[in-house]
Amino acid sequence: MNGTKAEVPTVRRDVVVIGGGPAGLAAAVAAKEAGCADVLLIERDRILGGILNQCIHDGFGLHTFKEALSGPEYAARFIDRFRELGIAAMEETIVLSLSADRVLEVSTRGTYQRIEAGAVILAMGCRERTRGAISIPGHRPSGVYTAGAAQNFMNLENIMVGKTVCILGSGDIGLIMARRMTLEGAKVEAVFEILPYSSGLPRNIQQCLNDYGIPLHLNTTVTDIVGKGRLEGIRVAQVGEDRLPIPETERYIPCDTLLLSVGLIPENELTRDAGVGMDPVTGGAVVDDSFMTSVPGIFACGNVLHVHDLVDWVSVEAAEAGKFAACFVREGSCALPSPIPVRPGSGVRYTLPQSVSGERDLTLSLRVSAPWRDRCVVVRDGGREIARKREMRLHPAEMIRIDLKKETVSGCSSLEVTVE
Amino acid sequence: MSTREFTCVVCPNGCSIVVDVDDDETPVVTRVQGNVCKRGESWARQEVENPMRTIASSVPVRWGDFPLASIRTSRPIPLSKIREVMEEIRKVSVEAPVEIGDVVLPSPAGCDTEVIATRKVRKVR
Amino acid sequence: MVQEYDVLVIGGGVVGCAIARELSKFRVRAAVVEKEMDVGLGTSCRNSGVLHAGFNYAPGTLRAVLDVKGNSMMDDLCRDLKVKIKRIGKLTVALDDEDEATLHRLKEQGEANGVPGLELIGREDMQRIQPGVEGTLALHSPTSSIISPYGLTIGLAENALANGVNFHLGRRVASVSSLAGGGWSVETGSGEAFTAKVLVNAAGLFSAEVCRMAGITDYVIYPCRGEYYVLDRRLDGTLKALIYPAPKKNAPGLGIHLTPTVDGNIIIGPSAEYLNDPEDHGCTSDVMKELRREGRELLPEIRMTDYIRNFAGIRPKQTPPEVGGNKDFVIEDRKDVQGFINLVGIESPGLTSAPAIAEMVREMVEKHIPLVPDPSFNPVRPGSPLFFSELPAEEKAALIADNPNYGEIICRCEKITKQEILDAIRNPLGARALVSIKYRARASMGRCQGGFCVPRITRILRDEFGWKPEDFLKRSAGSPLFVGNVRPEKGGAAR
Repeated sequence: MNGTKAEVPTVRRDVVVIGGGPAGLAAAVAAKEAGCADVLLIERDRILGGILNQCIHDGFGLHTFKEALSGPEYAARFIDRFRELGIAAMEETIVLSLSADRVLEVSTRGTYQRIEAGAVILAMGCRERTRGAISIPGHRPSGVYTAGAAQNFMNLENIMVGKTVCILGSGDIGLIMARRMTLEGAKVEAVFEILPYSSGLPRNIQQCLNDYGIPLHLNTTVTDIVGKGRLEGIRVAQVGEDRLPIPETERYIPCDTLLLSVGLIPENELTRDAGVGMDPVTGGAVVDDSFMTSVPGIFACGNVLHVHDLVDWVSVEAAEAGKFAACFVREGSCALPSPIPVRPGSGVRYTLPQSVSGERDLTLSLRVSAPWRDRCVVVRDGGREIARKREMRLHPAEMIRIDLKKETVSGCSSLEVTVE
Repeated sequence: MSTREFTCVVCPNGCSIVVDVDDDETPVVTRVQGNVCKRGESWARQEVENPMRTIASSVPVRWGDFPLASIRTSRPIPLSKIREVMEEIRKVSVEAPVEIGDVVLPSPAGCDTEVIATRKVRKVR
Repeated sequence: MVQEYDVLVIGGGVVGCAIARELSKFRVRAAVVEKEMDVGLGTSCRNSGVLHAGFNYAPGTLRAVLDVKGNSMMDDLCRDLKVKIKRIGKLTVALDDEDEATLHRLKEQGEANGVPGLELIGREDMQRIQPGVEGTLALHSPTSSIISPYGLTIGLAENALANGVNFHLGRRVASVSSLAGGGWSVETGSGEAFTAKVLVNAAGLFSAEVCRMAGITDYVIYPCRGEYYVLDRRLDGTLKALIYPAPKKNAPGLGIHLTPTVDGNIIIGPSAEYLNDPEDHGCTSDVMKELRREGRELLPEIRMTDYIRNFAGIRPKQTPPEVGGNKDFVIEDRKDVQGFINLVGIESPGLTSAPAIAEMVREMVEKHIPLVPDPSFNPVRPGSPLFFSELPAEEKAALIADNPNYGEIICRCEKITKQEILDAIRNPLGARALVSIKYRARASMGRCQGGFCVPRITRILRDEFGWKPEDFLKRSAGSPLFVGNVRPEKGGAAR
């Protein structure tokens, strides 16, 4: 580092996709298929596929391909199509900054360059919530991992992270890892969940926990981490309705590994860099029904926009974003005027997109705020009901989708979605 | 006689199914309630009498650009056979190149399935 | 085989390393014995990173004299050692009349101590420095600064090493005995033996224990733990200066405050709790709650998502909880035992004072051993105080064109490159725990806390250095990361 300077080359690309996971792949493919010849995908890992590369369990693609594929197989379908279309990719490349006028600073082995993009599709996915973010008291020994990191070690690096395991968080990642570690010879003592219900799919509760006799303790959280070198044990306690630990219920559980499956956070650093308007509930950008953000020409899709539970819907959503990004480059803008705001009402945690144009068909994605059975999701314009969908099973962990036709939404002034 | 409760996974409705079971040597389902359709009933029976599962794991790869190839069972196997199948999987190792769908272990533990590779591993010199 | 030295320093914290670097200016055989796998892993890496101006200490005390001297030495030292320092200044703020009287007293005291640039300023001037700060009066001390405390410790150690001081890491001193003809024999827990003409006890939290090994029973260390919260860099720039409340009498420390770090985080803390165990660095839910409350009071912009980590440091206090307050440093050339230079209770402002303490200790060593300056001493450490991510784009481009490893980002949150990771693991001290990469390259100190980079660092260490899963230690031999492979490695897996 001696102050030597070199020129930073600037190149122009039409559609630049940031992220080569399921969202980025589907968006790039769609942009190319929509007629944009110059599409570039930027991926920080050595390989394409994103998080799917480490999700070796099956259940992916039931809607898209009518098959139960593993993550790598699902990714391979899109990677094959991606390669078939001859779309350019820069692997082992990271985007360091993104400006509101769509200039990216990009770093890879060998070059540092700026890319001026006609349109940008944000598909960076999400990261896991950490121990530090939820302030678990105690020591900081080795042996505490987020479930996804443990999954990465096991499935991509051939490394076993521990022998006796406790898991905090009953989301699907934690449940999948409970089974994975058990199958590879670890003893999973229990899964702890702070809420009164699990956020995992019932199928996973059965096939990852019940099948192996692994207990699930609801209304319980970890109150202490013990061990100065390697983890020696944890303390857990039941929580009351305020979700705070009840001290008299605290007990000690010896274990050498604690996996945390306590939530995913959309990775929006670049999004904020570019000054894009954010939704505090989803943790992602505010978008319209073309998946364009508040910054013209910057689109978002997949987990970076809102955390999905089924990869099939990521692919559908990303394909839309790709199509509209290509349209933006071709026509300067696809934004139709006077967006109609969409707001979550009673029983609904969020709805996406946050505004619709009223000039095209769309699919509204939403999540409910509590688990229910046999309810209706109702869309209203002012007091007037415009759509209703009956769902037998509603759960905060499972995205609900409502297809709305252009005729239904055009002419509306403000939509609200409720659970009744 | 005992009662078991399941959340059916056949369709997104997720019916809560209650099953009465005669707990002999082999459990026999005597009554199924709570399902909205016939598929749920047969699923519930299967879950009690002979639950079937797919499993996923990894096998080591020699000379590959990845140390492991992920694998899965191509068709479900009985839950009771998982341990045996895993023991056989643990003995397997393969050599690159590996293609998705390659059979790395036919009929593990006598089950009617194959263990197939689910990731492509290229050969590295 | 007994390793013979002229001077043996027990303890590789910032003080021990500063002493080592000072001694390395001379033709003297010196070494540091440190129980951890790296330098600075005790209290030196676990504090606010503040360089104090020196107005808080009674004139004539060692704390006053050495802090002011040490502070004045920091610009040159950081320039030579390539350590990041930011002279952001401090506002000590009065909220009532009692506080204002305190500030007047502190200004006088500071001036008596030779602290430069102290000024009492009113609300308007305060707010020009730090918009939104509330108070009636403030003492502005321009020499109050922030530094990377582990960065300084590592810089001192590596320069000392380059200039001929040996570092014996991972060695815990088990016994110390004076030799018949003079000098000392030191044995470690694993049976390694050293001799030295002069022993320097810089063992921090364990200095009283080392005293006892040498037959000195005058001292007791009372561990007093301070917990901290680390906040996301999103709030970088919110604090333009250090902002402290006017100190209250007999408090064990300077109270909970917000401190910006040189790398753009803000830390909240420290708390104060007396403990029995000098190595209990755990964090407690009661204190965390208190830190969150205080933090939000001082900075209402803090959101729940800004908390990224907790840590704790332990002060080696000389006074028990009933007494409280702060005793002066003990830095003495013992008369009852020959050639034993004893440092006890070097808590705050030990970091700021370190280079001045080192000079003082060197003068004491000189009374026992002639110290001839070494003309080959090179005060300058190679490298840069800046991370790659902090360089302008054109410099980045040049570096990447020359060395592709600079183009590969491993720690996504902090934008740390593969070359920086390689440099960190290839550190001249031979420290091989993950914490050594963290403190040198900053990897895993961001908001994802290693979730993204640790698997990648693992891959680098396996590919470049052939590490096996059992070689990965977080901090010490007792903190292995992994238990083995999932499947036996079949070999030939090149990347």
